Amino acid sequence: MSADPSVLPEDVVLAVEGLSIGFGGSPVNLVDGVSLTVRRGRTLAVVGESGCGKSITSLALMGLLPHPPARIGHQSARFQGIDPLTLGQRAFADLRGDRLAMIFQEPMTSLNPVFTVGDQITEVVLRHKKVGRSEALARAVKILNQVRIPAAEQRLSAYPHELSGGMRQRVMIAMALVNGPDLLIADEPTTALDVTIQAQILSLIEDLQATTGTAMLLITHDLGVVAETAHDVAVMYAGRIVESGPVEALFADPQHPYTVGLMGAMPQMGRREGRLLSIPGSVPAPALFPAGCRFATRCPFADDACRRSVPPATVVTPGHSVSCWKAPLEEHIVR
Amino acid sequence: MLSFVLRRLAVAIPTLVLVSMLVFGLQKLLPGDPVLAMAGEDRDPQVIEQLRERYGFNDPVPVQYVHWAERVLQGDLGTSLRTHQTVTTLLAEKLPPTIELAVLSMLIALAIGIPTGILSAVRKGTWTDHLANVVALSGLSIPHFWLGILLILLFSVTLHWLPAVGYVPFGGDPAANLVAMIMPSVVVGGGLAAALMRHTRSAMLGVLKSDYVRTARAKGLLSPAVILRHAFRNALFPIVTMSTLLFGELLGGAVLTEQVFTIPGFGKLIVDAVFNRDYAVVQGVVLCVAAAFLLLNLIADVVYMLINPRLRRPR
Ligand SMILES: Nc1ncnc2c1ncn2[C@@H]1O[C@H](COP(=O)(O)OP(=O)(O)O)[C@@H](O)[C@H]1O
Ligand code: SF4
Ligand SMILES: [Mg+2]
Repeated sequence: MSADPSVLPEDVVLAVEGLSIGFGGSPVNLVDGVSLTVRRGRTLAVVGESGCGKSITSLALMGLLPHPPARIGHQSARFQGIDPLTLGQRAFADLRGDRLAMIFQEPMTSLNPVFTVGDQITEVVLRHKKVGRSEALARAVKILNQVRIPAAEQRLSAYPHELSGGMRQRVMIAMALVNGPDLLIADEPTTALDVTIQAQILSLIEDLQATTGTAMLLITHDLGVVAETAHDVAVMYAGRIVESGPVEALFADPQHPYTVGLMGAMPQMGRREGRLLSIPGSVPAPALFPAGCRFATRCPFADDACRRSVPPATVVTPGHSVSCWKAPLEEHIVR
Repeated sequence: MLSFVLRRLAVAIPTLVLVSMLVFGLQKLLPGDPVLAMAGEDRDPQVIEQLRERYGFNDPVPVQYVHWAERVLQGDLGTSLRTHQTVTTLLAEKLPPTIELAVLSMLIALAIGIPTGILSAVRKGTWTDHLANVVALSGLSIPHFWLGILLILLFSVTLHWLPAVGYVPFGGDPAANLVAMIMPSVVVGGGLAAALMRHTRSAMLGVLKSDYVRTARAKGLLSPAVILRHAFRNALFPIVTMSTLLFGELLGGAVLTEQVFTIPGFGKLIVDAVFNRDYAVVQGVVLCVAAAFLLLNLIADVVYMLINPRLRRPR
């Protein structure tokens, strides 16, 4: 991706190269050599099955993955001119909630039950901005209006248990955006919500992103969400990015056998779990990952070379790259 | 809030009545005849009969209960069969030392148990945590009276720093009273601190794993705010429950500790009364402890309301 000449360096909000994450004594990297680039005003979706390492990737980027027990390695990372992954605890905390914000999958449990909505939003303003309490409250009301919470001013004194799941996720979004971050990481922000609420929250996120221009890293297991919301997409399988590029290019011409399988199983919008009906088998346990391509245990095109060595990323068209020995795939499907 | 307190009181009163019935009924089932104990060596049948009449022991048990309850409601808990003091006098005399010991011990337990519990949860798996756990386990397994004797041997007999025995009422000489209470409070408070520490630790461990603590970190809050404001506020609920229970137990008297340090408190009063089948005293003491327990629980419920918005403003 970073090889794409059409991406201007000043447009890049976050670029990370070769991010790897393992745990404890296990030598296997659950996340292995992941590279991502998020650009100004755009949404990059990371899509993959549950358990493939999306959450630990986003937590590591936020500095929220405790290490140890985690082992986090990377070649390089760039966020607003610095490498956040080399920052000390205090400096990283100064970024979080200010330039770098995150919303989580679980709106029901992510807000503190003993504090009011107003307290929880003003807290993050007061932590990072040199403003008084009344200004912080004014900003809280403003952002609550922006996330379309009715009667925003009255909601300041509401406790989380007095709000529905959708409303709580709106509060989480408000809390993440109140300081105007450069990058918003959203880890499956709609997965835990009812179908109708999912669509509302997604379109809210889309609108906010369009109006504020905040770059967004959107984590999802749902290709429907990708098609709806994202500009760029990175497909993750067993801790590796197997294919990435602009959404249109990737949907029009998927190159990796896993991506093709995902598309075949593209779930209806709102379905909770996207089952990969057209891909037989399941993700092996990390200890059983093949030395080469991790998809080799399920891939109809796998051969000894695939199992032996890791396929490098190859460029299909500018910005669109794939990690598969058999790319371009057409040559192998059409005999 | 007021209606909540009133509702709780409305529940507490029948409970208290039930407790009093149980106490009264169980007394009747206990073996041993207090009149025989009073009548002395010769056991003159006529004297015995007179005593039975006088104390109403010939009435049916429910009638005896009603008479007793009427008198209790007028503040008359009866007279000790042995010392002939009124039970109210005895309670007023023995309660203050026990309450003082309970309060001081509880303060020590809270001051030690909660901070070490928080620290050992935050530093889970480190040497700090292991050390705190070992100390707490020893604190839980060493009998209070034995620790008390060791402290007396060290600080009184060997070092002559603190008085070994000799309770001084707080009203008489507050300084001397506090000095005399140091060792017993440390002995009892230390054991409770261990229990509180373990409880605080496990409550904090649960809360520190929660999603809202992760959110607090995602907001860039620093550790003190995350731990004390976001985590501890939520860990407080089980800690309040535990503290209430521990304090309630203390009000029943720390029998052995009172014995070791010769504190003229509730513990000794209860033991003596039970052994002497001093019905009136046992009933008075148990009723008093039950009332204190109910009051404590009421206070704990109010504290819950204050710290838990889900109770204060249910959906
Ligand atoms: N603290 C941890 N220790 C060991 N393994 C972990 C830990 N956290 C997550 N994992 C493992 O890492 C893998 C990726 O998890 P996760 O990032 O949550 O997946 P996703 O978000 O894609 O569903 C899973 O197999 C999970 O079991
Ligand atoms: S590298 Fe081989 S095993 Fe892996 S996806 Fe491509 S063809 Fe399949
Ligand atoms: Mg996840």
